[in-house]
Amino acid sequence: MINTDVIIIGGGTTGCGIARDLALRGIPHYLIERGDFAAGATGSCHGLLHSGARYVVTDPQAAKECISENLILRRIAEKCVEPTGGLFVRLPGDSKRFRDRFLKCCEDVGIPTDVLSPSRAIDLVPELNPMIEEAIKVPDCAIDPFRLCMLNAISSRQAGGGFLIHHEVIDIIKEKGRCVGIKAKEKFTSQIKVVRGKIIINATGAWGDKVAALGGSHVPLTLSKGSLIISNHRLTNMVINRLRPPSDGDIIVPNEAVCLAGTTSISVKDPDNIKVESHEIDTIATEVDHMIPKFGSTRMIRAYCGVRPLFASGVEDTRAISRGFRIIDHNNGLFSIIGGKLSTYRLMAEKMVDIIMTRFDKKVPCTTAQIPLDGQDELTGYPLSKRLKDMDDIICECELVTRADVEGVMNRIGTKYIEDIQHRTRLGMGPCQGGFCTYRALGVMQEMGRISPEDSIRILKTFLEGRFKGIRPALWGDQLREEQLVESIYLGILSMSSK
Amino acid sequence: MKFEHCIRCTICVENCPVFSVEPKFPGPKQAGPDAQRFRMDGEVSVDTWVLFCNQCKRCETACPYGVDVSEIILKAQIKYVEEHGRSIANYMFANTYNIGILASAFAPIVNKIINTNLVKNIMRVIGISTYIPFPRYRAFTLSKGRRKVGKGSKKVVFFYGCYLNFNRPDIGRKIRSILVSMGLEVITPHQVCCGLPALGNGDLDRARRFANKNAGILVHYINRGYDVVYACTSCGLTLVRDYPGIMDLPDGKKISENTYNVHEYILNLIEEGYIKPGFGQVNMRIAYHMPCHLKALGIGYPAARLFEKIPGLEYRVLEDNCCGMAGTYGFKEKNKETSIQIGRLATLPILEYKPDAIASDCGACRMQLGGLTGIRQLDPSEIIFESLKVGLSTIKYSKGKGHDKETDSRFIKRNIRKGGQV
Amino acid sequence: MYDVVIIGGGLSGLMASIWLADRGKKTALISKGDPMCCLSTGCIDVFGGTSSPLKGIEKPPRGHPYHFVGLEGIRDSLNFFKKIMAGSGLNYIGDIETNRGILTPLGTIKATCLVPQTMKAAYTGDNEYIHIVSFKGLKDFYPAYITSKNENAGYSVFDAGISTTVGLATRFEDTTFRREFVAKLKSWEIPNGRIAMPAVLGLSSSVEIMEAISNELDRKIFEIPTLPPSIPGIRLFRRLKYTLQQKGGDIYWGRDIASVERSDTQIEAVTIVTGSRPTRVEGRAFVLATGSFVSGGLYALRESVYETVFNLPVVFPKKRAKWFNEDFFDIGHPIEKAGIRVDRSFRPRHANLENLFVCGSILAFSNIMKYRCGNGMAIATGVAAAKSLDRWLG
Repeated sequence: MINTDVIIIGGGTTGCGIARDLALRGIPHYLIERGDFAAGATGSCHGLLHSGARYVVTDPQAAKECISENLILRRIAEKCVEPTGGLFVRLPGDSKRFRDRFLKCCEDVGIPTDVLSPSRAIDLVPELNPMIEEAIKVPDCAIDPFRLCMLNAISSRQAGGGFLIHHEVIDIIKEKGRCVGIKAKEKFTSQIKVVRGKIIINATGAWGDKVAALGGSHVPLTLSKGSLIISNHRLTNMVINRLRPPSDGDIIVPNEAVCLAGTTSISVKDPDNIKVESHEIDTIATEVDHMIPKFGSTRMIRAYCGVRPLFASGVEDTRAISRGFRIIDHNNGLFSIIGGKLSTYRLMAEKMVDIIMTRFDKKVPCTTAQIPLDGQDELTGYPLSKRLKDMDDIICECELVTRADVEGVMNRIGTKYIEDIQHRTRLGMGPCQGGFCTYRALGVMQEMGRISPEDSIRILKTFLEGRFKGIRPALWGDQLREEQLVESIYLGILSMSSK
Repeated sequence: MKFEHCIRCTICVENCPVFSVEPKFPGPKQAGPDAQRFRMDGEVSVDTWVLFCNQCKRCETACPYGVDVSEIILKAQIKYVEEHGRSIANYMFANTYNIGILASAFAPIVNKIINTNLVKNIMRVIGISTYIPFPRYRAFTLSKGRRKVGKGSKKVVFFYGCYLNFNRPDIGRKIRSILVSMGLEVITPHQVCCGLPALGNGDLDRARRFANKNAGILVHYINRGYDVVYACTSCGLTLVRDYPGIMDLPDGKKISENTYNVHEYILNLIEEGYIKPGFGQVNMRIAYHMPCHLKALGIGYPAARLFEKIPGLEYRVLEDNCCGMAGTYGFKEKNKETSIQIGRLATLPILEYKPDAIASDCGACRMQLGGLTGIRQLDPSEIIFESLKVGLSTIKYSKGKGHDKETDSRFIKRNIRKGGQV
Repeated sequence: MYDVVIIGGGLSGLMASIWLADRGKKTALISKGDPMCCLSTGCIDVFGGTSSPLKGIEKPPRGHPYHFVGLEGIRDSLNFFKKIMAGSGLNYIGDIETNRGILTPLGTIKATCLVPQTMKAAYTGDNEYIHIVSFKGLKDFYPAYITSKNENAGYSVFDAGISTTVGLATRFEDTTFRREFVAKLKSWEIPNGRIAMPAVLGLSSSVEIMEAISNELDRKIFEIPTLPPSIPGIRLFRRLKYTLQQKGGDIYWGRDIASVERSDTQIEAVTIVTGSRPTRVEGRAFVLATGSFVSGGLYALRESVYETVFNLPVVFPKKRAKWFNEDFFDIGHPIEKAGIRVDRSFRPRHANLENLFVCGSILAFSNIMKYRCGNGMAIATGVAAAKSLDRWLG
């Protein structure tokens, strides 16, 4: 049994941000996550560090939070952020009145803007639709959500914070009507662990209501699924937004070697049972094509979707619900923090920890906005110079991951999960989507004695099934060819079957 | 964005001669389309391994998805060399043309000293390998002598290339004689290096300067109804592919569309019925090695198809292998081992066939395969020339201007007698 | 003017070309690049999932191209294949009556019909000891996958100084290297039984190399096919291409078809791009053997599928959402039925072309993954289409 002060359930940016804030203010804590870090909405978002411009017309409060957090994160999380800048492009037919309001609101909120002529915009992003009427430059950035979580977790660990990943909270222990601990089950071994604490934070996003229910509480949530597609390579080095009220398929974000484009917004019931539909992809591809005409004909390597946990307010159109966040005190030692977004995770954590501090009757100010995140040096980046430390033994050829990288992760975290290696090295994130390298990575894990060959075959199967779900909606053109090749390898050469 | 069509099938890797022997080279897929996803404008090159590529272009010929693998690597090579500076060897090989001019001018002296130990040691120090004896330089190059020979309704410009010019002008003259005997007017204009050695040594600017000079000359003739024929397949590939491609010459496309391999051109003439040459008996056993750059040109095996027509000629088109020399690649000390290892593999089927001579369209391939096997080497045109019944012995070059006329007219007369029509 | 122009340099195109060149036809083979068969195991799957391919052949699935070849046709084509391979020094073992098991790098048993001689001694289900010799750093081969499934197996690792299948195969062509290898193996005192190795025993003289090592060690040796780059696949492809070369067939490699000329009922010529000058290739008859999606014969847009050379009518499931089953292991995705429908003479249906013959995996309803018939069907339809064409040419 583990004893601590604060238990955080959920290893997304919110949970990890809270862990770091607690660490910096000297509060013992433990974080429980059922998958790997960033397994929920954090890992399936755009990776866009908003300037706030996106919400400036519909939700000025959220916009204000965004721009101030944007400036903070660019400072404290320098290496997770690519300061790409963003363009809001206005196409023929897009409302000019909206554009005027947009500029006015940006000024009110304090988002710096620069109105560019089409030719200046095309100088910045050559693949932009030449028909654009104008573009407005804003300080949008690309951010790597997984690294952001990791860095926050590293801060927490350095201060003695603990975490359990791949542990699902199956019960919240209640004593005398108060929540005093949790039971968590390891996914692979089904081993149960008990963690006891004084305060439990439910930072599980879309799963918020499910987890709250374990403590006998309820969180009113509206779940909105958003789907995105990933292009084979970069088509823009800047974030591209459509200058119109938020709608489907109007954002393109460069991320590592690829671009992410989305999204859609579809109301769903169960966050564990979602998938990308072909028609969503068609919608996104058609829409982003208006901004970057090459996009629709460029090779897509995968599609994915995440669930936005929005605070239920009875509004039908999920895009109209505020992207602001709420903290709910269930008055039994359990708090739920819901809503919000990646860009404002730090602020959310600050507010949450402020409340915890008052509960503990301690007065330590928040310093997360001042102290840069530690451990940034170990991270690699997008350009080749950062990827290529040496050329020996490249295991994942698409994303240039070496055997040493895989072994390094294994030695650090000793995982049995191929996904953990993928997240930490980007193994299998390239065009073949792990078609070649997963077999190799598992072989390396075997050679290191970390998993048995039987396990590795089981893991390989699970991986192939999961991988297929992601690429299935994006199968046409070159990616369909690639898929036939991967099929011929696993089902033909290796003669695998589901049995 | 052709690189996005890559599906990682590894076919390019299977065809890469360097990858098969050099553990440090991660292969064309990795150095080409895989790394390309990460190469950002304005970033300094870090991928030293692109320099291992010998630009044989076999990857590109083999790729079923139309990915321009070797061109991606070539661009990365050029960028790398530009940023990290050139070695003396790079500099020298980029300048084979100018060196050739000098060496030919002092040919007797150069030939005497070039294969001495002293010079060899100096070369090794500056990074030039000497396992293959350096070719001899000739004073009477193709750039000297008459510009125009022969008569006919069809007119061609002969692009001879540096190797034939400086080292084997005799082959160049034979080719010209063959063309004249086919009833062509042949112009051998003043010309410079095609630019490939400069390109292969990372000097795009110099390559462009050469190319522009040639382009001016060639286009002048193309506009007057001439076709361009080349003998060296690497020069040919450069004219056809790199002039409109990476060198991006305004007239590149025009040159490309009007340029032919000399044997391809002859075959076309025969097929069109322009001429019916009488091929004579040649009793020889020939192993025909197809240069990688001929393969990359995608025009089949024109020389071998002419061999078919030669009575008595016993020949085998060898299973296709890279010889490892790849222009100036094998002449660099750092590539020596790789080059020899690749070459050995290519020599196996030759040694097994036991030919009288190795034939190949490319001078560098001939030097390498000849050097490694000790077997005599011939340009296919030499065999064709032999077959066309102007025996090697009957040709006597006299120094001085009039000799071409004499040789060519004798050749034509003989050929007409044999039933060829002009 | 050629008698036959074959488009597509894969197994079916090569077989058709060789068969026709053998008959004295003047052939030209045009290929955009190297084919899928060099990524395969090099084995000839004829019909999988049963102990004998005959079961699938005698009653082929509905619409399957085997209907148009027939049992005797398939038998003939396989015999023809075995004959030319034997002639090229790369013997194939097996017959149409039986599927034999070969060991895969994952330790599973793959059922296939014809195997190269280097895989002859492969796992057959008996319990004799198998010793795997792997190579240091070889990233596509992990013997533990195999030993974990076979109790009576062990392995050792040899350091060859190079760690790729292509590099290793090249080393094995070198006699000095082979001597060192054999000496090392002798020093290991491997227990009695068979020796298995990843398929890297040379590029062109695999059979001789295997026999030499086998004799020196006095053990049976067999190869285990690997992930691409797969050496047995490369051997198969290169032998066939070389055979065609020797038979005098013209080959245009690495070339795209730029345009097609057709009259009312015939294809008259195709234009290929060489350098940037187009070359016209005329033929009396044409063979289309460009393969399925992965080979480039078919291409899928978001809404439709088209055939890439002649734009022939293609059958395919209409809705993209239905192209693939939900589960990766639910083999037989509907899209794999896509292709060109032909009549008994291998002419495309509804195209009104009397001199075009289609073969290989571009044929509709071939469903290669499901029926495990890839290379076998390529050979059978390649030869059958060539025969049909030959009859038409007269």
